[in-house]
Amino acid sequence: MKGLKHLQVWIPYAVSILCSILFIYAATSKLWDFQNFKTQLGQSPILTAYAEWVVWLVPLTEYILAFLILADRFRLIALYGTLGLMTMFTTYIVLVLNFSDYIPCTCGGVLEAMGWTEHIIFNAFFIVLVTLAILLSTPKLPPKAIPT
Amino acid sequence: MIANNSYIKIFGTMGLSIGLMVILFLSSEQEVHRNNAFIRRYPPHPITKLYDLDVIHNSYYIAGFDRDLLYLGNRSAPWHLLQVNMRTRDTLPIRLTPSGNGLRYRSIHTSVLPPYFFVMDGTMPFILRGRLGEWKAHAWMEGAAFFDRAVPVDSHLMFIRTISSKTQKSTLGIIKKTTGFQVALDTTLLEAQIDGIFDVDGTMVLSKETSKLGYVYYYRNQFMTMNLEMKGLHRHRTIDTVETAQISLAEPNLKGDVSMKSPPLFINKATCMSRNLLLIVSDRLGKNESEEMLDEATIVDAYDYLKGSYEYSFYIYDIKKHKVREFAVHEGYLVALLDTQISVYETREPYFDGSISTNNQNIKDYLLASSGRRSKTRTTE
Repeated sequence: MKGLKHLQVWIPYAVSILCSILFIYAATSKLWDFQNFKTQLGQSPILTAYAEWVVWLVPLTEYILAFLILADRFRLIALYGTLGLMTMFTTYIVLVLNFSDYIPCTCGGVLEAMGWTEHIIFNAFFIVLVTLAILLSTPKLPPKAIPT
Repeated sequence: MIANNSYIKIFGTMGLSIGLMVILFLSSEQEVHRNNAFIRRYPPHPITKLYDLDVIHNSYYIAGFDRDLLYLGNRSAPWHLLQVNMRTRDTLPIRLTPSGNGLRYRSIHTSVLPPYFFVMDGTMPFILRGRLGEWKAHAWMEGAAFFDRAVPVDSHLMFIRTISSKTQKSTLGIIKKTTGFQVALDTTLLEAQIDGIFDVDGTMVLSKETSKLGYVYYYRNQFMTMNLEMKGLHRHRTIDTVETAQISLAEPNLKGDVSMKSPPLFINKATCMSRNLLLIVSDRLGKNESEEMLDEATIVDAYDYLKGSYEYSFYIYDIKKHKVREFAVHEGYLVALLDTQISVYETREPYFDGSISTNNQNIKDYLLASSGRRSKTRTTE
């Protein structure tokens, strides 16, 4: 029981740090090679028309989330935000793979070396982690709500 | 209760995110396909290069195709054709001979349309026709109509551009040979913006597969397609944003000749038609495109004129800083002329197989869209 309690505090914290690192890394790598990122996003079959502001919005959102998620006060909100963003990324990949006229050569930005399938698995893994963190960090769970 | 609440929030967040992404996707598709925002899309490799071939002269132009054979006409040697076998890369010079003696000519253009070839001079005017392989040109038309350009459509139909004696402006028309010659001009096709001659200049194209004629303006973002009787007109916008020709003309000189004061702004440089596609060479950059690319390649935009939509773009790479002069697509090949070289590419499915317009859903799409589309499409019948 005590170990479990420990885990309940630990998991949201660990997940938050992990997400923070991921976001900071992803956003920085995008801004590092901004022209390239902009071109790739502009030529991606889904967001072509909105590339102009999406190129700014995505790294900005990632930075904001990365910092909010580290602050205890905002962690829960940031976790929801992360969940939303991750779901959007995953939906994007699924749409590109299934419904677009063609599949772009490079995906750009986050971890370019990964293939599309690995990317989906990677994202799904993060979605599961974040969901877990949200459930565990929802404040003041009445004891009966956790069936153990 | 609270746990339940969290589940609702989690699924709510995910649902919202998915919904937002789908909406973005659908509306982006709409923007790119229909709205003519100047944004290009580059799918991976619609064409792949097979080889370059040096043909020594830079005065060649594409006269036509016959199966695997490409025929090049030569501006500085009007009675000479170069036959290039695109599969084996063999070249064979061909000498054309007129059947009569003492033929006078000023500016000859040769066109190959199996099983015939045509030798045309619109200033005399005459059109000669001969069979491929025999290479002897017999009179087909003499004196029926002056023209400044002509595209053979079939053995008894010619798509021409000329100056209308009525309006003194450039006009599209057809010459039909039955027992005699019928010349039909339609002065409403080319829409004057400045003088009706320079500003409406452009390229004339033909798609044998769909039996359509096309005309693409050089200096504005428009082209039109019509059937072989010059009816069923559709006007289309390209993705470019220049609607009015940006050219400036000098005052006529003593002989009355008008010339351009400054270099014009080319919007649509070279064009060709292939099945349902109309391809346009453009060196104008869209959003999210890097300028360096224009130093090494030329952009080709593909439009589906049956659907009335922009489809995709690709590059034709320069050879030693020389850009594409003209190009054509024929049975799985794309041929481009650059300086003294010809570049032969292989066209890849599904980009060139015409599948886009044979698909029922797309035709429905087109019918729906053409009623409420912003791009100016007009049908005259």
